[in-house]
Amino acid sequence: MIIRSPIVVSLSEFFQHLMNGLTLGGIYALIALGYTMVYGILKFINFAHGDIMMVGAYIGLFTFTFLRGNAPLGAWTFIAFLLAMIVSMVATGILGMIVEKVAYRPLRRASRLAPLLSAIGVSFILSNSAAWLWGTQSRKLDYPFNNAPYNIKGVVITPHQIMILVMSLTVMICLKLFVDNSRSGKAMRATSLDQDTARLMGINVDKVIGMTFAIGSALAACGGMLIALDYKCYPSMGMMLGLKAFVAAVVGGIGNIGGAMLGGILLGVLETFGVAVFGIPEAMKDTISFVILIIVLLVKPEGLLGKATREKV
Amino acid sequence: MMKKILSLMAVAAVSAMALFANGNSEQVSSYKLGFIGPLTGDYANYGVLCNNAVQLAAEKFNAAGGINGVPVEIIAEDSEGNNEKALSAIEKLSSSDKILGLLGPVFTGSTFAVGERCQNEQIVLITPSATHADITKIGDYIFRTVVSDGLQGEVAGYYFHDYLGYKKLAVLYAKNDYSQGLYKSMSATFEKLGGEIIAAESCQVGDKDFKTQLTKIKAKNPDAIYIPDYTVEMAQILEQASQLGITAPFLSCDGFSNPEIYNLAGNFTDGVIYVGPAKVEASDAYTKFVEEYNAKYNVKPDSFATNAYDAANIMMEALKDCVADASFAKDSLAKKRIALRDGVAATKDFLGVSGTVNFASNGDLVAYQGIYKVNGTTPEYLGAYSVQDGKLVKVSE
Repeated sequence: MIIRSPIVVSLSEFFQHLMNGLTLGGIYALIALGYTMVYGILKFINFAHGDIMMVGAYIGLFTFTFLRGNAPLGAWTFIAFLLAMIVSMVATGILGMIVEKVAYRPLRRASRLAPLLSAIGVSFILSNSAAWLWGTQSRKLDYPFNNAPYNIKGVVITPHQIMILVMSLTVMICLKLFVDNSRSGKAMRATSLDQDTARLMGINVDKVIGMTFAIGSALAACGGMLIALDYKCYPSMGMMLGLKAFVAAVVGGIGNIGGAMLGGILLGVLETFGVAVFGIPEAMKDTISFVILIIVLLVKPEGLLGKATREKV
Repeated sequence: MMKKILSLMAVAAVSAMALFANGNSEQVSSYKLGFIGPLTGDYANYGVLCNNAVQLAAEKFNAAGGINGVPVEIIAEDSEGNNEKALSAIEKLSSSDKILGLLGPVFTGSTFAVGERCQNEQIVLITPSATHADITKIGDYIFRTVVSDGLQGEVAGYYFHDYLGYKKLAVLYAKNDYSQGLYKSMSATFEKLGGEIIAAESCQVGDKDFKTQLTKIKAKNPDAIYIPDYTVEMAQILEQASQLGITAPFLSCDGFSNPEIYNLAGNFTDGVIYVGPAKVEASDAYTKFVEEYNAKYNVKPDSFATNAYDAANIMMEALKDCVADASFAKDSLAKKRIALRDGVAATKDFLGVSGTVNFASNGDLVAYQGIYKVNGTTPEYLGAYSVQDGKLVKVSE
């Protein structure tokens, strides 16, 4: 392996890489939110999250194609896209709840390992079913708006990229407000602290957990559709993206909503810069995230924004 | 027990000697050629289609009189698509069947293994289907009736430099044999002609985000960007390039001839120039071959079967010429094999069912590649090209 010396880049190229990295990070962040929520409540990593995202993307794709018909780009296509997103979020939310009820709930009192393995199983079931049902070819999800790039002093940004950044930021803020201030949010936090005590206090823990899965999965559907616009829909799309998003959640401090966002953005930017600016070979691109993961786990195991919890005695 | 085996062996040896003694005085009853390919197992389909073609060729050749009334016999051996089986097949064909030449093996891997053996034992080999650029580098006994992977890149390099006049190219290729092979052979030719590859970016198979590489390429300001890759990846590259405001033209490979590209990236394909399969004129000979093949085997031949049919006919014609030479009958097996190799090498303008077949001096098929230019979402055929004596030649149609 040849390690190249750092590459000198022009200012506009630098900002272009930054922009690319930010939007890639925005995508990671959107999916990472789902991991973080479920982990925050259940202390359990839902490895099927990426595949739920994939299902969401497909449902959105089919709904949008159906609603749009042959309409040219315009206000209607955008509304159709938003409607498709809502349909997809509801459907995927329900899927999330079903998965939780069937594959995870019965194992809640089992060893830590059992639900994790069950999640990996669900992941394979979902991606293989998608391949069987919809075929393995990539399908295109049309942009519901004109995605012609804006050029700002040589740095190019597309409406889609802006949408990803705005969307992930909005979702994060809404989620944070919901968890911090709403009644259901309080119930979630209580459940997260101690399920048994929460139950004794009159909180319907099963309902709270179901809701968490529904919200997490609905967010995944939203992210999945945004990703499919750029990367197309295909059955294995949840694998690598899911893994990266999971790493982002851990790096940011799993269970922490702001952390997922920070982790995602950080990963996206470092991955882009690692190759473009620091001269890491392209073949090593995917390893960058995992090296960062290992470093963070060694130095600050609770993640960048995570709080160290003391074992209760 | 031991005694019994020994005596059996002695009997066998004696009878073998008797056979040899007879062999010299008797007229040859048939000329033997070998075929190796996967006839059973997971890849049987490839081998069976080729073997059908070879057997059909021999049948027709013999029906037309064979070689002075003596038929050609093709002995087919099963490789199951793996190298060990292919090696034991050539062992048997060479030493016990005493074949004069070999058709196949079908796969690149087995052809490397068997080709080495054929080269050492001086048995001429024609493969109908091993496309790897290095196959004919094994030696001068190896020929093929299929286009080498290297040709496409070579034609691309010449065309981009000489016909399109590009001086500085950027390349974005995937790290797999196909993409990397095309990139290497294109750039070797392009640089030999004086062009410069100013950016060679790579990606992993399955990557979806190419913005980093494209941003780097954009900063270098190339004349054009060559993207030898698979359809989905190329669609992704074209779209992201447009998102980054890249206006340089794109150049591509046979992967672009898959119409799926227009479903995935129809808005961005205008102006792309790619090297792909040359259009073959549907000849009468080809139509007749397909009919006969279909009638006999109840299945249509694939392109490798067509190549196998031509390979068999080339070898049988060469053998016929050898036999015409009076001294051939008296030659040793080794000398006969060498004569057959020279006969195959001397093949010129052979009219096969796949078109006119010529071998380059290294044993590769002299073949053509088509050049296409995409107009909106419709590829326009610019003609067939070939490399002859270090020059790109447009083939007249």
